[in-house]
Amino acid sequence: MTADGPVRTMAVWCPDWPVTAAGIDPDTPGAVLSKGRVAACSRAARSTGVRRGQRLRDAQRLCPDLVVHLRDIETEGRLFEPVVEAVTAITPWVEVLRPGLCAFSVRGPARYHGGEKPLRDAVRDAVTALGHACGAGVADGVFAAVLAARTRGEGVVVHPGRTPDFLAPFPVRILERPELADLLGRLGVHTLGAFAALPPGRVAQRFGAEGTAAHRLAGGLDARPPAPAPPATDLTVGASFEPPAERAETVVFQAKALAGQLHAGMAAKGLVCVRFAAEVTWSDGRVLRRLWRHDGALSELAVAERVLWQLTGAPEGAGRTRAGDGGPGTGSGGTRTGDSGTRTRSGGTRTEDGAGEGARGGPGDGLAGKAGASTWDGPGEMAREGSGESAGEDPSDGAGGVVALRLIPDHLVPDNGRQSALWGRADASSRVERAAARVQGMLGHHALVRAVLGGGRGPADGIVRVPMGDLPPPTPAEQGPWPGGVPDPAPSVVPPHPLPAAVLDADGAPVAVDGRAAVSAPPARLGIAGADPVDIDSWAGPWPCVERWWDPASRHRRARLQVTSGPRAYLLVIEDRQWQVEAVYD
Amino acid sequence: MSVTEAQGQPRVRHLRSAVAAAESDVPVRGRPAAAVLPALRTLVPELPAGSLVSVAGGGSASLAAALVAGASEGGAWCAVVGVPEFGVRSAVGMGADPQRLLLVDDPGRRWAETVAALAEGVGLVLTRAPAPVAPALARRLTSVARRHGCVLVVAGTAWEGTWLRLEVTASVWTGLAQGHGHLRGRRATVAALGRGAGGGRRAALWLPGPDGAVGPDRTAEAPQDGGVRPVRAAPRTAGTTTTEVA
Repeated sequence: MTADGPVRTMAVWCPDWPVTAAGIDPDTPGAVLSKGRVAACSRAARSTGVRRGQRLRDAQRLCPDLVVHLRDIETEGRLFEPVVEAVTAITPWVEVLRPGLCAFSVRGPARYHGGEKPLRDAVRDAVTALGHACGAGVADGVFAAVLAARTRGEGVVVHPGRTPDFLAPFPVRILERPELADLLGRLGVHTLGAFAALPPGRVAQRFGAEGTAAHRLAGGLDARPPAPAPPATDLTVGASFEPPAERAETVVFQAKALAGQLHAGMAAKGLVCVRFAAEVTWSDGRVLRRLWRHDGALSELAVAERVLWQLTGAPEGAGRTRAGDGGPGTGSGGTRTGDSGTRTRSGGTRTEDGAGEGARGGPGDGLAGKAGASTWDGPGEMAREGSGESAGEDPSDGAGGVVALRLIPDHLVPDNGRQSALWGRADASSRVERAAARVQGMLGHHALVRAVLGGGRGPADGIVRVPMGDLPPPTPAEQGPWPGGVPDPAPSVVPPHPLPAAVLDADGAPVAVDGRAAVSAPPARLGIAGADPVDIDSWAGPWPCVERWWDPASRHRRARLQVTSGPRAYLLVIEDRQWQVEAVYD
Repeated sequence: MSVTEAQGQPRVRHLRSAVAAAESDVPVRGRPAAAVLPALRTLVPELPAGSLVSVAGGGSASLAAALVAGASEGGAWCAVVGVPEFGVRSAVGMGADPQRLLLVDDPGRRWAETVAALAEGVGLVLTRAPAPVAPALARRLTSVARRHGCVLVVAGTAWEGTWLRLEVTASVWTGLAQGHGHLRGRRATVAALGRGAGGGRRAALWLPGPDGAVGPDRTAEAPQDGGVRPVRAAPRTAGTTTTEVA
């Protein structure tokens, strides 16, 4: 094996895996269908002449008692998982090529098991123990290894350097490039050996990049020159608390230390994570996990702060765990009024400026200020008090403290440094970011949004609400002309949901808009959401607006009307004979 | 003595001017006051950071948008809490930068905490309380805002300690007729009351004008400037037409 040649690879192949996964015994004639053609068939079926790619009709003619199943790739993948696990027990770095086929580099494991043949036997034993037929082959490169695994049913070991010779007799269609194989066949090149013998420059000239890749495969090389990528490493850091931590500070200080480790680990690999997940496990087994945007800009202190917010500010809303509230609330029973340090922030201090202090706990000052002072339910208490509701509904279901904390970096990307926007215009300053992250910690990621303006005809159209920290959608601003749009100035009140309205003419009959966009009678009175009608002073319209008529799901056929009534003006819209107040010019 | 005086005076003067300069923008730690749209400066030249402004009644939504636009145009970040119907386009038309606008439509029960948290970070918070605000809570939130140099704009019922109250006292929309035209703008008379407005001030404004921006309404001021009205041009007498009457 040369330094830049293909890596010695073992492929493990379970024959006819789609059939096995469908529950068909190898000795029963059976086939799995995909798009009306045979995707795989059992050994017994193959002996009767059934082949991959046949139409079902042909297959059934050859084998009338064929058992047929539709292909289910998900099940195939799921059932292959135990096989992968069995192989993983022998060597950890296993790559699943597809369900039924996996491969790994043999360099290390072969040395451990005393050679490639003993390793192959160990792998085959492990897979056969699960009750699956299995072939395992070793060769230079994945492509050759797969072929080696499929040779003679149980696989062969191709000696190092002999891979081209091993590949030479295979037909060119084994490359699974039908057009290329067809062309090569007509050129008189039928085997991989003959194809590999062609000069590479000529192949590149005639067949392009795909032909070059195939040519390299035929010659026993990798399809592409190797481009080593960093292996996926687990940079998760964690700590457990024994006995369970009863106070937030314990966890937060640990979080700070862990954040240091996390950053050091990522920096050593030249990586940075886009987000990190903080996972807090309570002693009763509940787990509170929250993703925090990181962008590589969070200091250790900032990470620790986010863990504190997660502990104290678990959102109370549908679909979210209340562990943050329930657990700590009870855990702090004894510590609430007790040993406050430099600054009292426990429940009893609400008299002076609790709102300010309670809410300001996170971003404004670092951990030092809170040392020994903040208790579990400081901000929680504030929220209840602030909104004027009773504080007695905290679910006290007896959770102890925190037993484990883990920081899991998510979506690792190479650290390319950070480029701020010129003049920092669109860039949130750090204090804005901190305030935003704190609110998102309290209310959920989607509660705090930025508006991205796109194009549109109505007052609410084209305003995309992007949670702070997320990137805006790729094509937000479609500033084309919008014929039929409502002219400037824009209304200052745009209800999230339009209010139902009644538009009446002078006789008290509802005003309708016909297909030619004409009103049945001049509108004279307007009633909003069931209120008493008010007089309409002046009006204009209706302006028809037919949008997205080609898409049944989002099409609209409506007409808009502007009316004034006293000091106010309204934008009314009619759709399906129902008037609504779309916006108010207030 | 005279020597030291001669040497010291320029330095003392320099120091004094430095102190004066520093004090002039101290009202709030490290944060300039929130800017106001040019058209509104006759009512209030600027909003000192930490001030509590209330907008109420008809036209309050446009006034709130104008205040947000002014602060945003001045480079500050703004947040809108608990006002889901806030017209973003309207504010942008008045000059707000949507990139520096944070929206929290439904803070739910954590309204007070959300306002306090955002007041720490942004220059102006526009909010409407979900329930009547007790004076104590209003004081606390104002103190957070003052400490962090943020302007609180309250829609709806004014809180205790309001520094400036803005109201639209009279307004009329123009541009619409019976069945034709479209809304072009609103002429509004805006009154400023409270400590921040001295004895109370008034201004005639386009709120908004035809281009969506806020501008002074000169036509309303013209008659008070000595009663000069634009004179209608006399019809030109063309030689061939005989039906014209002067």
